Amino acid sequence: MDQLLIRNFCIIAHIDHGKSTLADRLIELTGTLRRDEIGEQMMDSMELERERGITIKAKAVRLDYKDSHNEIYRLNLIDTPGHVDFSYEVSRTLAACEGAVLVIDATQGIQAQTLANIYLAMEHNLEVIPVINKIDLPGSEPERVLEEIESVLGYKASDVLLISAKTGQGVPLLLEEIVRRIPPPRGDISKPLRALIFDSHYNDYKGVIAYLRVVDGRIAKGDHLRLMEHGTEIEALEVGYFTPEPRPLAELAAGEVGYIATGLKSVGECRVGDTVTIASQGATEPLIGYRPPKPMVYAGIYPTQMEEYPQLREAIEKLSLNDASLTYEPETSPILGYGFRCGFLGLLHLDIVCERLEREFSLSLVVTVPGVKFNVTKTSGQKLTITNPTEFPVPTEIEKIEEPWVKISVITPSIFIGALMEVIQKSEGTYKHTEYLGQLKSSEALGQRVRLEYEMPLRSMLTTFYDQLKSRSRGYASLDHEFIGYRDAKLVKLDVMVNDITVDAFSRIVPPDKAHDVGKAMAAKLKEVIPRQLFKVPIQAAIGSRVVAREDIAAKRKDVLAKCYGGDITRKRKLLEKQKEGKKKMKNIGRVEVPKEAFLEVMKLG
Amino acid sequence: MSCNLALYIHVPFCRHKCHYCSFVSFEQREADISPYLRALGQELAEHTGSERISSIYFGGGTPSVLTIRQIDDLLTTIKSLFTVDEAAEITIEANPGTVTREYLTEIRKLGINRLSLGMQSLNDSELVLLGRIHTAAEAIDAVRSARNSGFENLSLDLIYGLPGQTMTSWRETLEKALEMEPEHCSLYALTLEPEAPMRREIEAKLIPDIDPDTSADQYELAEDLLAAHGYRHYEISNWAKEGRECRHNTVYWQNLPYLGVGVAAHSCLGGHRLANTRSLDRYMAAFASSVLPVVEMDEEINPELECAETIILGLRLCPGISLDNIHQRFGIDILEHYRRQVGEMVDYGLLEHADGHIRLTRRGRLLSNEVFWRFLPG
Repeated sequence: MDQLLIRNFCIIAHIDHGKSTLADRLIELTGTLRRDEIGEQMMDSMELERERGITIKAKAVRLDYKDSHNEIYRLNLIDTPGHVDFSYEVSRTLAACEGAVLVIDATQGIQAQTLANIYLAMEHNLEVIPVINKIDLPGSEPERVLEEIESVLGYKASDVLLISAKTGQGVPLLLEEIVRRIPPPRGDISKPLRALIFDSHYNDYKGVIAYLRVVDGRIAKGDHLRLMEHGTEIEALEVGYFTPEPRPLAELAAGEVGYIATGLKSVGECRVGDTVTIASQGATEPLIGYRPPKPMVYAGIYPTQMEEYPQLREAIEKLSLNDASLTYEPETSPILGYGFRCGFLGLLHLDIVCERLEREFSLSLVVTVPGVKFNVTKTSGQKLTITNPTEFPVPTEIEKIEEPWVKISVITPSIFIGALMEVIQKSEGTYKHTEYLGQLKSSEALGQRVRLEYEMPLRSMLTTFYDQLKSRSRGYASLDHEFIGYRDAKLVKLDVMVNDITVDAFSRIVPPDKAHDVGKAMAAKLKEVIPRQLFKVPIQAAIGSRVVAREDIAAKRKDVLAKCYGGDITRKRKLLEKQKEGKKKMKNIGRVEVPKEAFLEVMKLG
Repeated sequence: MSCNLALYIHVPFCRHKCHYCSFVSFEQREADISPYLRALGQELAEHTGSERISSIYFGGGTPSVLTIRQIDDLLTTIKSLFTVDEAAEITIEANPGTVTREYLTEIRKLGINRLSLGMQSLNDSELVLLGRIHTAAEAIDAVRSARNSGFENLSLDLIYGLPGQTMTSWRETLEKALEMEPEHCSLYALTLEPEAPMRREIEAKLIPDIDPDTSADQYELAEDLLAAHGYRHYEISNWAKEGRECRHNTVYWQNLPYLGVGVAAHSCLGGHRLANTRSLDRYMAAFASSVLPVVEMDEEINPELECAETIILGLRLCPGISLDNIHQRFGIDILEHYRRQVGEMVDYGLLEHADGHIRLTRRGRLLSNEVFWRFLPG
C-alpha cells in the first residue's frame, strides 16, 4: 500500500482515562470488529492466556478506514503499556508511530502520567491530537479541562476534540483528524530493510513473535534477517499483521506495522528497541539507540515450601521467556532457603511477576522487602553493587554509598498540598518546583490543581509511599516518577532478630536517624503477626550489635479442646488436621513458626 | 458372643437455649418429645443383638425435661432389647432449674445411679451472662435434693474462662461447689463456636473476649484446689474421687465401641464412626415412614487412624497411654514410631515418659492440641 495512505499512531493516557475504551470504539467504528465481537475477542485471549500461560494481547491492530471521499486508509493502532514502570517500552512504541492521540478525562483533567506521556511524545516528535474523553458523564467539565490543556500543554482549543469513547460521540471526527493531522510514514522502500521491534512475546509453537514497524525496505516470509544490536540471525518464519487476530501475509513494506515469527526461544534474544535488517548487505545504522532494560527494584523471591524450589526456578525461567526486563539470579538465605534475587522495572512490575508466579504456576511465595541497587565503596577501596541488604557492609567498613534518585511529579488539588508535602518530606524528598494547573469545578472546594515536583531516593518510594499519597489526598493525587541518577547517601543496615536469629529477609537499608522508628514499627508488627509459640520469643531490631528496638512474644499457654466425648471425636480430629496443615504452611525461623503473612505485613511497613 | 457397649441417648430438648450453646438442641419443641421418644425406640430396636450394655448416658439438650414415665419407658425398652449389666453406670444430665426432689427420687428408683448437674457457675451474674435458667441458690438446692433422693454419685459441671470472669469469682464458685462434696467434677473452658450467640456478642464488643491466659490461670487454680480436696485429675477436664471416674465417658477416651441413638448422636462400631442427622424433623420423619437410615456421616476408621485416635484420646487421660497396650492393640512401639514427635514434646516439657506410659505434663494438658496434631497420620 502507498505509504501516503498509512497512519501509525498510539493512544496515550493517564490510567483509567479511557484508553482501551477508545481503542475498542475505533476498532468498532472502522468495521474491523463488531461491538459484540470485541467482547468475545477479549474473552478468547484471556482463555488462551490461561491455557498457555502467555500473554496474547492485541498489541497492534490494523484498521481499514474509509474517509468521506471514499479513500481507504490503513490505520495502525499500537498499544502502549499504561504504567510508568514500563516507560522504556512506551518510548519504543512511540518511536514506531508518527502520531499519538492524547486522552484526558473530562472529569479529572491533566494527571501526572498525562504529562509524562506527553513529554515522551514530544521527544519523539509525534503529532499529538489531544482529546477530552467522557464528555457524556454528568460530572464532566470539558471547558475547564480545555483551559487546562491550553494553559499547561499549550494546545489551541480548536485543536482539541471532545469525545465520548463509551457512546462513540465525536469518534468519527477523531478518525478524520487522525488521517488529516498525523503525517504518513516517510521511509524509503528501496533502501535495505530497517524495522523497529516495539514488543515481543513467546509462543510455544512459533517461538518469539516480534512486533515491528517497518521503516525502510521490506520484509518477506523466508527472509534471512539480523538483529542489529544483538547480532542474532533469524529467519522470518511467518510475516503478518493483526486484526487483532494474527493474519499471515507475504510481506510487510516500509511504513507498515505487523509481526514476524522468529523461532527464537526467548524474548531476551529479541529485545524491544532492537532494529531488524536483512542478514546480508543489510543496513548499517540502527533506527534508534537500543538500551537493555534496567531493573530499578530488587527483591528476593522464595518458595514458601523449600521443596518447591525447582518449580519456582522453572516458573521464573518460563516467565522470563516473555519478559526481557525481569532479571534473576539464584541466591540462598539461611532462613528462606533457595530462591532468587530478582530485578524489576518497578513495584508494579514486581507485583505482576509475583502474581503470575502464584496464579499461573500455583506457587506460594515469600517475597522480601523490595529495595534498590546501591553502589558502595568500602574503606578498603573495594567497590560493591548491592541488591540484597544482607550484603551491606557494617558501618565502619563503608567509605561511600550511592543510591538511585528519582524526580517525582505529583498532581493534586491544592487543599492537600500541606499533607502531601509532609509525606514527601518524611520520605526524604527535596522540593523543586510548584506549578498551578487550573481549577476544576467538581473539585472547586479543594482548590486549584497543582503540580508538585520533588526529588527523592527511589528507596523511599518502595513501600507505602504511593498508598500514603493516595490516602492523604483522598485519592486525588496522581504520581509519576523518573530516574535521575545516583547520589551520595548516608545509610545503615537494620537487622531484625527473631528469637536471636537474624532474619535476612527482614533486613533493610535505612537512614541512621530513622532506624529506631523503623525498627520499632517492625518489631511491633512482628509481635502482632507471629502467633505465640511454645516458648517466649524476643524480637529485636539492631544496627550491627546495637539493639534499637525490642518486643517479646509471650509463650503460648493454652491450646486445648475442653470437651471431647463420643460426638466430638471426628470433628475435633478434623480441627487438629487443620492445625497440622496450617503448620505445614509456616516458615521456620529456627524453632519459631512464622506465617507467610508475617513477611507480607512487614513488607508493607513504610 | 457378646461385646460390651456404652449406650448414649440424645435428648435434644431444652426449655431455653444457653447463650454459649452450639449443641443440637431445640427450644419450644415440647410437643415433639413423645414422637421423638417413639423414634428413639425404633432406632434402638434397629441395633438389638448380642450387645451387652455396661453404661447408659442420657445427654442433651436437657434430658431432665423428660417425665418420669418417659424415662421409665425408655429404660424398659432398652432392657427389653439389650442385656444391661447389673452394675451398669446409668447417668442422666440435669439442669438444676428443672429438677425437684420428687422427680429425682423417682428417677433414682428407676435405676439411674449417676446425676450430672449442669451447675456452670455459682455466681448469679455469670449465670445470667451464660443464659442459664437457674440461680446459684437453685443449683445448691438441686444438689441437696439429689443427695436426699439417694444419689451417691453426683457430678457437677462448671465453666471457667467466661468473658470478664475474675480469678476471685472462679475461686468462689469452685470453693462453694467443693463444699457440696460432689463425687465428680467436669470443668470446661468456655469454648464458643462461631454460631453461638455469645460469640456474636463478643464480636459486637458488647462483652469482652475470652482471655486465654486468664483461662489458663483459672485451670491451674482448679487443678491445685481440687487436688487439695482429694480429687484425682483423670482427664483434661474431669476430676473424681477415687473410683468415681465416669465409666461411660472413659469408653470414649479409650477409643472403645459405643452406640449413640437420637438426633446427631454418634456411634463407633465395627471400625466405623457414624453420625445421625442433626435435623429433628428429618430424624422423626425417617422413623415415622420407616425410611432408614438416619445416618448422615459414615466414616471408616482405618487401623492407622484408629491408632492415632487411640493415642490422642488416650493422652487426654491423666495416666496417659500404656506403651504395652498400644503395642498389643496396634503392634507399634510408640517410642520408635513417633520418636521425633515424642522427643520434641518431651523437650518442650509437654509430654513425659515414665513407668511404661507417656502422658501429658501439667503444662502439656493446657497445650494438648500442640501435642495431639503431631500424632495424626500423614
